[in-house]
Amino acid sequence: MIKKLLISPLGWLLGIFLSFGICIGALFLGSIDWQTLMYSEIGSKILWDIRIPRVLLAFVIGASLSLAGVLIQSNVRNPLADPSLIGVSAGAALGAALMIVLADFVDIQVQYYIPIAAFIGGVLATVAVLKLGRNDLPGGMALLILAGIAINVVAASLIGLLTYLATDSALRHITFWSLGSLASANYFWLTLCSLALLIVCLWLPKQHRKLDAILLGQAEANTMGVDVKRLQIQSIVLVALLAALAVSACGIIGFIGLVTPHIGRMLVGASHRYLLPLSFFLGGTLLVIADSIARSIIAPAELPIGIVTALLGAPVFIWLLLREGRRLQW
Amino acid sequence: MVMSLAGVSLNRNGKQVLDNISGELKAGKIIALLGPNGAGKSTLIQSMARLLEHDGRIKLQEKDLADFSALQLAQHLAYLPQHSQLQFPLEVEEVLSLATLPFSLTKLQQRQQVKQVIREWGIEALADKDFRQLSGGEQQRCQIARTYLQLSNMVNSGKGQGIWLLDEPASSLDLEHQQQLQKICLQAASEGHCVVIVLHDLNQAFSLADEVWLLEKGKLVAQGPASDVMTERLISQVFNVSARRIEDSGRHYFIFS
Repeated sequence: MIKKLLISPLGWLLGIFLSFGICIGALFLGSIDWQTLMYSEIGSKILWDIRIPRVLLAFVIGASLSLAGVLIQSNVRNPLADPSLIGVSAGAALGAALMIVLADFVDIQVQYYIPIAAFIGGVLATVAVLKLGRNDLPGGMALLILAGIAINVVAASLIGLLTYLATDSALRHITFWSLGSLASANYFWLTLCSLALLIVCLWLPKQHRKLDAILLGQAEANTMGVDVKRLQIQSIVLVALLAALAVSACGIIGFIGLVTPHIGRMLVGASHRYLLPLSFFLGGTLLVIADSIARSIIAPAELPIGIVTALLGAPVFIWLLLREGRRLQW
Repeated sequence: MVMSLAGVSLNRNGKQVLDNISGELKAGKIIALLGPNGAGKSTLIQSMARLLEHDGRIKLQEKDLADFSALQLAQHLAYLPQHSQLQFPLEVEEVLSLATLPFSLTKLQQRQQVKQVIREWGIEALADKDFRQLSGGEQQRCQIARTYLQLSNMVNSGKGQGIWLLDEPASSLDLEHQQQLQKICLQAASEGHCVVIVLHDLNQAFSLADEVWLLEKGKLVAQGPASDVMTERLISQVFNVSARRIEDSGRHYFIFS
């Protein structure tokens, strides 16, 4: 009952933060009366073309990264896993960077090919990490994290190599990915990311008990009727889809995928029936807040959002590491 | 016959972990798998649960094990592993309710079954606790209760009697709960289920098992009724100890020196 009560006010909280996010920025819209806002050309442009798609995209990406975090942590039964830590985001960024550099040599519509390249990069990185990590073996948890670090290093060095080959405009484009920003939010990315999130949200309701079973162990889940391999493959593809689209739309945003599932578990436990909807709302709301901070703290300039989420998330991550370390007696 | 094994072998990194194991599991019987560390007991029980790739053939109710879907298999077979690996804060009640996963039950039925199991196993005080915070013995009791609930549902859902695979279930249990485990195994067998149990306590195997499979270095050294298989000579040879078998009021015991 308490768990259900916790989830319901989140809708209200979300509404408040979304309105707040839409109002603040270089120009504070809250101080302008709504008629001026709606009927002046500049007011409606700021509202409809900049603020609304940006705040909604922040929510969708935050919810996507958070759900991706829950899925990857549950599937590898590792509380320290998240799409950026285990290399999925770096793989996606490498795919995107490769496409950006290639675009200078081949005449293609970059905007449409980047998501595909980022998706393939994300899937390849996930598969590589899972193959190298062998989370089913004793000591596999540490191996998985190390495999993620290795993939991150390889991806970072290849992106570094690409920057030498890149033209000035491609270089600026690549730098954007590595820092993360929602500044280029538009309805194209909002539609694409929302569709991916919708696919995952339609898939999840039938999986929550299977994901609970996987938490007990692969052997237990298998003998409780869960086709673990199939569920893991589906999860990997969806995590790669969410992470890759998020990276394509706004670059690498760390820690949301790691931290929000943990905050959710602290509030409602690990049962996915409650954890999934809670993480959805928490992830979205946190990124809306982080983006509001990023674009208002040094307004009219903007901080890259990756810096804000890292500053908020890193202390939580360090605390989690220490707590896990104490518990597992590393 | 519930399950049959024919020439089951498994080679891991050049080491023959299982070597041509054959045998039959019958309904209503308790089979104890005995042997020293590294004999292949856990590997064999995991092969029976289709958790490991192996050579040879395992058939469940005359059908190849590979032909079952994961869901169908879970409606005929419940497996208890040696250790729990839970890393996340699931409550005991949530862990127990997973036993109903392979069966089409309403939420109300699931809740009722879980409440009943909690009452029957006397674990009311643990029901809303984080599973990871329990002691090893408490975790084991909850896991045994979970797999027994899965087994009971096989009959309730009309799938018939099942196989209960228990990998060293008594390892972290105190004496009282070892006796409780023994009772529940006998009850499961009396209900027509086949129980396969890995044991280290030979005296427990004497009092519990209808049949003993004695393993050594992946080979099935002997197979049959406990009193025939567990001879002083064979036990001393396989376990590399000096064992003496004594009889008291028709019951057999081993004393080791």
